[in-house]
Amino acid sequence: MPAVQETIEQVRKIDVDQYKYGFESIIEVDKAPKGLSEDIIRFISAKKNEPDWMLEWRLGAYRRWLTLDEPTWARVDYPKIDFQDLYYYAAPKSQSGPKSLDEVDPEILKVYEKLGIPLKEQEILAGVQKAPAGGEEDDSAANDNVYKSGRVAVDAVFDSVSVVTTFKDELAKAGVIFCSISEAIREHPELVQKYLGTVVPTSDNFYATLNSAVFTDGSFVFVPKGVRCPMELSTYFRINEKNTGQFERTLIIAEEGAYVSYLEGCTAPQRDENQLHAAVVELIALDDAEIKYSTVQNWYPGDAQGKGGVYNFVTKRGDCRGDRSKISWTQVETGSAITWKYPSCILRGDDSQGNFYSIAVSNGYQQVDSGTKMIHLGKNTKSRIISKGIAAGFSQNTYRGQVSAHRKATNARNFTNCDSLLIGNNCGAHTVPYIEAKNATAKFEHEATTSKISEDQKFYVMQRGIPEEEAIALIVNGFVKDVIQELPMEFAVEAQKLIGISLEGSVG
Amino acid sequence: MNMHAAPQRTQAETALIEAFGERLSELPGDGAVMVKRDDAIEAIKDGLPTRRAEAWHYTDLRRLLAVVPPYDQTANPKPLTPVVEGSAVLPVLNGVVHGKAPSVGGVAFQTLSEKLIDGSLAPALDPRDADDAVSFLNTAFVSDGWFVDIAADAKADAPIEVQNVQAGGQVHARFAVRAGAGAKATIVERQSGSGAALSTSVSNLLVGEDADIVWLIVQDQPETTTHLAQFNAELGKNSRLTLFVMNAGGKLVRQEVRVKVAGEGSDFQLRGVNLLAGDTHCDVTMVLDHAAPNTGSRELIRNVVTDKARGVFQGRINVYQQAQKTDAKMACNTLLLSDDAEFSTKPELEIFADDVQCGHGATVTEIDRNHLFYLMARGIDEKTARGLLVKAFVASVIEELEDEPLVDALEARLDGWFAEHG
Repeated sequence: MPAVQETIEQVRKIDVDQYKYGFESIIEVDKAPKGLSEDIIRFISAKKNEPDWMLEWRLGAYRRWLTLDEPTWARVDYPKIDFQDLYYYAAPKSQSGPKSLDEVDPEILKVYEKLGIPLKEQEILAGVQKAPAGGEEDDSAANDNVYKSGRVAVDAVFDSVSVVTTFKDELAKAGVIFCSISEAIREHPELVQKYLGTVVPTSDNFYATLNSAVFTDGSFVFVPKGVRCPMELSTYFRINEKNTGQFERTLIIAEEGAYVSYLEGCTAPQRDENQLHAAVVELIALDDAEIKYSTVQNWYPGDAQGKGGVYNFVTKRGDCRGDRSKISWTQVETGSAITWKYPSCILRGDDSQGNFYSIAVSNGYQQVDSGTKMIHLGKNTKSRIISKGIAAGFSQNTYRGQVSAHRKATNARNFTNCDSLLIGNNCGAHTVPYIEAKNATAKFEHEATTSKISEDQKFYVMQRGIPEEEAIALIVNGFVKDVIQELPMEFAVEAQKLIGISLEGSVG
Repeated sequence: MNMHAAPQRTQAETALIEAFGERLSELPGDGAVMVKRDDAIEAIKDGLPTRRAEAWHYTDLRRLLAVVPPYDQTANPKPLTPVVEGSAVLPVLNGVVHGKAPSVGGVAFQTLSEKLIDGSLAPALDPRDADDAVSFLNTAFVSDGWFVDIAADAKADAPIEVQNVQAGGQVHARFAVRAGAGAKATIVERQSGSGAALSTSVSNLLVGEDADIVWLIVQDQPETTTHLAQFNAELGKNSRLTLFVMNAGGKLVRQEVRVKVAGEGSDFQLRGVNLLAGDTHCDVTMVLDHAAPNTGSRELIRNVVTDKARGVFQGRINVYQQAQKTDAKMACNTLLLSDDAEFSTKPELEIFADDVQCGHGATVTEIDRNHLFYLMARGIDEKTARGLLVKAFVASVIEELEDEPLVDALEARLDGWFAEHG
């Protein structure tokens, strides 16, 4: 198992603070004044040259938000966030006017290079790959990153704005629109107006409403009827500025019979203060369409004492609006100090299908409250939930999920399996499923288990001469295999490594 | 969601507050008890729990508790024939102890009105948390009940049956049982009646070291009654408790089960059968704490839901950090038999110890077509075949009691229910 060996090697090299994307870059930025008010929203909207309807939409959301209370039902604990003490807009200074790679601040390009995100199309097109420097591990993440290996179109979001989107022309040839959401609002207002907020309405929940008011950028994907998107699409989010909230909004539409696979990655610098990330992702699949959405979430989790880290409060929802449509969420959650995230599927179309595959690894003082919702509305709808939680250190790891079948959802089917693994005696694993059946033909099955790595399994592996740490890595990788195999291949390798890294220091 | 609440008292809340003012002078209790009653009614003044309170997620008490009937002094229910013949019967009729305590070797009885008057019951009246509405309602209005004290090593041959019987109006009863070390007994708790009542009942059980207790709750209130009940137990070292709950009636029913497996090596078994028909809303909510090492528990709940009934099972298993080697398994299986039937379940695990085996399973289905085909292929008509399958589905839970008189008595009730609703 070379991959496992590699994980172990990698784990050994890293010290307690193993987060390797924690560097900070000094980049000149254009910021809105601190705080939140109608003026700030007008400022953001004006900055982005938005049409009036967009501003009204934002202001409507903001007024709604003022009437909401922050939710407290999740099993997470954090000091109250002062929403007036945040910057709601921060953009790299050179970022104005039309974008081409040459105009992007070289400092930003360096950041992405360091992260291993290819923004230069030609380099990938030519198949040029940097050879690892004589087999030596350098400290950058560049060598083991998924984005190096395949042909992936990338939308790079830096703090509040999208700095560049690659492969746009090639995608346009296939009829696929892939751009930042700000650009879409300007260039394709009819599409945005038709679909924005139809899955996650502005009144949905506290953070989604806040996002609707102040979202600054994100990605927009439109795959027209019958088109199979020719390459993987990807967005890479980076929070760089201090005290800045990142509020991105992603909207993906797959028309009849279309297919798209989308990847999302994220990192942030190491800071003692907490950073807020409140995103909204909306997926819409029409008849026979399929959307695959994969996330490797690796925001800064805070240090070994639980100081700092990103608050990741995200609303992700897919709407299987058409018959026979299909939406899959796959997520590997290893970062963030606090995760509050429930990628969901509304199975509205008859014979539609929703899947949720998740691995949530928590260590240190991380708190994860994540899961999914499968809302069965149409006939013969199917859903599957596979969730694997691994808690180590002093972390709390909660699965919270809802499966419901409405009156008219005849023959709704769900299978849920959520397993938790505890490593060490100071962490907690929790399972909170809500199962609601209002139709007699519904068939719901739910199973959950919590256990530690069995001594028998460990003994079996170790007596074959495999050291303890490696044995545990092997067993853990086996435990999460069901989910890993749902990831695009390059992502799977990365995910496996991330799991190894996240669990470092928890063995024994 | 999360809108700022604009509290406006519901009709039921107003009726409860007024009823308290009217009943207060007649309710037994010393100063300490009266303080608890005042605190409880203050909590009700803040509003009954809504679905925002996680513990009441599927039973929005504020919305569902529409009407609260006034206390009816003239209601005159009769004691019930015990579930098992030859049981020692302890009735509470219209909220008042009826008759003399029977004589059972090694077991002492006392009425709870005495314990309210002398104040010795006061500590037991504390709520568990801010959403403990069943406790608030019961504490505010409780009028009587029985205290059963089973001496160490006493073995009660026949079951002890406590009864809370109503004939309309309001009844608020309580039962407290202390089982000494090594004691062995079967307790039957009956919740029944004949009127459109508001009935609350709280039972507290302390299981001593090595004691072995079987407790049955049999609830068959009429379809017009709101029944809110709570069962609390704490298990001592190496003790065993088997709790069997059967719900087969009521309009709005909430049965809470709160068990603390506190002694090392102790074991808790919960078996539940919920037969829901008509317009019943029935909620069984369990909170189980594994607080000591080497403890075990198994929970098996089977539900049959038909007509327009709505069923709820919430089960939470908490495993404390020190509770290593806990072995806990929970299963909740439901058969939905009609288009308008609903079932919601929330089986939770909260685990803080790493060396444990915990699991839960939940299924909601209709009758398996293959099973039905198997029987019909043998010449059994569809209705009978369905009946057989549904009965087998729940009877297997009852049979696990392995106590013949109890199994027979409960199966007879099962047959009765199927005759009426099958």
